[in-house]
Amino acid sequence: MLLEVHDLHVEFGTRDGVAHAVNGVSYRVDAGETLAVLGESGSGKSVTAQAVMGILDTPPGRITGGRVLFQGRDLLRLKEEERRRVRGAEMAMIFQDSLSALNPVLTVGDQLGEMFTVHRGMSRRDARLRAVELMDRVRIPAAAQRVGDYPHQFSGGMRQRIMIAMALALEPALVIADEPTTALDVTVQAQVMDLLAELQREYRMGLVLITHDLGVVADVADRIAVMYAGRIVETAPVHDLYKAPAHPYTRGLLDSIPRLDLKGRELYAIQGMPPSLTRVPPGCAFHPRCPLARDVCRTDVPPLQAVQGPGAEEGERASACHFWRECLHG
Amino acid sequence: MPEQPQQPEGAIAGTGAGGAMDLAASEATALERGPGGYGGRGGQDKPRSLWSDAWRDLRRSPVFLASSVVILFLVVISVWPSLITSGNPLQCDLAKAQDGSQPGHPFGFDGQGCDVYTRTVYGARASVTVGVCATLGVALLGSVLGGLAGFFGGAWDGFLSRMTDIFFAIPVVLGGLVLLSVVTSNTVWPVIGFMVLLGWPQIARIARGSVITARQNDYVQAARSLGASPARILLRHIAPNAVAPVIVVATIALGTYIALEATLSYLGVGLKPPSVSWGIDISAASPYVRNAPHALLWPSGALAITVLAFIMLGDAVRDALDPKLR
Amino acid sequence: MGRYVLRRLLQMIPVFVGATLLIFLMVNVMGDPIAGLCGERQCDPATAAQLRRDFGLDQPVWQQYLTYMGNVFTGDFGTAFNGQPVTELMATAFPVTIRLTVVAILFEIVIGITLGVLTGLRRGRPVDTTVLILTLVVISVPTFVTGLLLQLLLGVEWGWIKPSVSPAADFGELIVPGLVLASVSLAYVTRLTRTTLAENRRSDYVRTAIAKGLPRRRVVGRHLLRNSLIPVVTFIGADIGALMGGAIVTERIFNIHGVGYQLYQGILRQNTQTVVGFVTVLVLVFLVANLLVDLLYAVLDPRIRYA
Repeated sequence: MLLEVHDLHVEFGTRDGVAHAVNGVSYRVDAGETLAVLGESGSGKSVTAQAVMGILDTPPGRITGGRVLFQGRDLLRLKEEERRRVRGAEMAMIFQDSLSALNPVLTVGDQLGEMFTVHRGMSRRDARLRAVELMDRVRIPAAAQRVGDYPHQFSGGMRQRIMIAMALALEPALVIADEPTTALDVTVQAQVMDLLAELQREYRMGLVLITHDLGVVADVADRIAVMYAGRIVETAPVHDLYKAPAHPYTRGLLDSIPRLDLKGRELYAIQGMPPSLTRVPPGCAFHPRCPLARDVCRTDVPPLQAVQGPGAEEGERASACHFWRECLHG
Repeated sequence: MPEQPQQPEGAIAGTGAGGAMDLAASEATALERGPGGYGGRGGQDKPRSLWSDAWRDLRRSPVFLASSVVILFLVVISVWPSLITSGNPLQCDLAKAQDGSQPGHPFGFDGQGCDVYTRTVYGARASVTVGVCATLGVALLGSVLGGLAGFFGGAWDGFLSRMTDIFFAIPVVLGGLVLLSVVTSNTVWPVIGFMVLLGWPQIARIARGSVITARQNDYVQAARSLGASPARILLRHIAPNAVAPVIVVATIALGTYIALEATLSYLGVGLKPPSVSWGIDISAASPYVRNAPHALLWPSGALAITVLAFIMLGDAVRDALDPKLR
Repeated sequence: MGRYVLRRLLQMIPVFVGATLLIFLMVNVMGDPIAGLCGERQCDPATAAQLRRDFGLDQPVWQQYLTYMGNVFTGDFGTAFNGQPVTELMATAFPVTIRLTVVAILFEIVIGITLGVLTGLRRGRPVDTTVLILTLVVISVPTFVTGLLLQLLLGVEWGWIKPSVSPAADFGELIVPGLVLASVSLAYVTRLTRTTLAENRRSDYVRTAIAKGLPRRRVVGRHLLRNSLIPVVTFIGADIGALMGGAIVTERIFNIHGVGYQLYQGILRQNTQTVVGFVTVLVLVFLVANLLVDLLYAVLDPRIRYA
């Protein structure tokens, strides 16, 4: 097992009290596997990733429990210096907005080369050569000429390729991509996503793909974890989940995708709004918006339990719904 | 011309490069801002505006409360100095010159044998009057001129920008020396007039900038496309949003005007005796500071506390009005 | 770039003319331009009238201004109250004030930036709060009070420095006056550094740098500081002009015979040519310093391009 997040809890101190951003999240990623973490903004998907990377802002954030096992080591117990050596070299992260995530006053060559000088002790000259190779690798035209350019001189798609190159520079075992294509034009999105998928296959990396876009997920992910209000509400192999969701929230998400064959009908939308993390509803956090909700949902938090269903092998699927059977067959 | 940190506190201009907040915090706040209630259907929260948020923060800020108390006290004693002193600041007894503290005269006597306590109390009036009047004048003139320039743009804007450039190029104390050295009047008005004359470009520049920012807001474009008149747009949509930075800068400027009055009086061109001003007293006390340091220290302390109170007030207001710094 | 500089130089002309004209008018309204030309005595009426004609003072003000500026550009700044050419006064006064300004700028850079970085990285901790309150106090106490107090303490009570600076005014003597001159800007530099540092600390690219596994020293030094110091450097650059023009108070307290001293004397003795001459040079310094700062900005921040 490459990465195993176990019962992770993260809180934020806000002006309105403690926000429970992550409430007992567990997920696993194997080498070469792509796990998509799906959720609305505020579901805790990015915070979980930041806790795994060790780049959470503390304060206001605070990890209050859980384990993050990476290649067998609990990252949360490492000293900061050991943790730093893991970051960038063994696990790397790709951010959403490449314009703000790259340093505006350093050349892309400097920022790429830095990986090699810091982690590998290379000379600046060698690092620069490697930077050009990397830019070639992510198919940036005229890499040798552009290595001295600044981030703002590249287009959004090219900049995101540079982010990818930076993450893959030291061939890490795990890459976390936080909404890597959200900020890009639709036409460029597919190219960047394909590049990422291709490089992942080539290096046999584990990939955690954080997104709110179901369309992106279907193409590249092996498994999906759906998050809501700081919890995982359903995990499943990607095709099983699309075929038959076992949680009303997942069903709602799938139903709200516009479909060509249903053109002209009113679009479905999940009613209500996501809850405030400072006031998560008791019981199932989704109950105020759930069409299947009953009394038990308002009082008892549903555990993430194994789902036996069509096409699902034992232990591959799980749902945190009291009535997952109804959902699965309804 | 590139953006320049004319206002030393870069935070006010708010042109930070990175801009974007970290995702974790923004996710948390996005939720925090969302309508209340479990499923979000409730929406019972009171509407929160910049002003009510700021006021809520201010009431809890010890800095704000402390400086408000000091300022209130200063205003009261500058209107009714006799509340806390029965002396007359102009009644002096040369026989007591440079004497130290005595019963009934806690701060001692200055070089002319005047009671330092009484003079320090009476000195508040000049400082507060100059500070408040100069700030009002500067804020009014500056925000009208700057606001119109920002709203209408064009030739008037270009002209105004050059004018502010010209005024910025003249060192303030120097301008005060030149202009006020001919004035023989003994009132505070020439000093106030001078401050308004040299101070308005600072506010004008701020007001212009924030009007231009507010003008580009989507809701202003929306109001315009709905056919609202320019006057209505300016007063109802732009002014309320552009006024916050002006208030912040003006509050801080109030403190600096008080310091400037004292400086000009110290140099002999601000208020002149027999007016009572801390600057005059500090200047008069400086030649014999070795024998009677108290005559220098008390008015200096009063001046420093007054300026500090206004600057802290401005600082607290800025913190409350600038959510980015939270 | 060349075009931008040219455009900026052209833009400086109206500002220069406006500022000097403003001062020229102010001085003319206030003063008697021929005062001092007869030495320390008053001129007798006949001589005065003759002098007025000679100097063209019977002409309209705008013509006087043109004549004066014409002379200035040929290097003739007129005569000071003591009969010396103004240029001679400048030759002795400017080096002193420039030394004073250099000391002040060094204080801003060394102390201001250090304190700002220290507090910006430790926001909310006791060091931060203490320094923050200190800067507010320094900003609140007017320069002349700071100066008098330091002079009283260091010069009179403890005898560490001489209370007044000798005419030579070498760097050693100017340390305390330079600190006084710098004090308010120093506090601003500290606060500005702290603010931008704290703002950028939460920026995405700093988070990227951490995610890259860079050591903290490198994250701060190369990524955080490099970006945060841009506005600070430009503030300090723009302050050069302001410091030179604002040195009057400091120079008066420590009896330094620099630009401020000469200006003060010129104003007291109502000598137009001294005042206008010195102010003209000061305005020029201010404008050039600002132009250089703008160009420096482009060097420091590659996103800014001048067309």
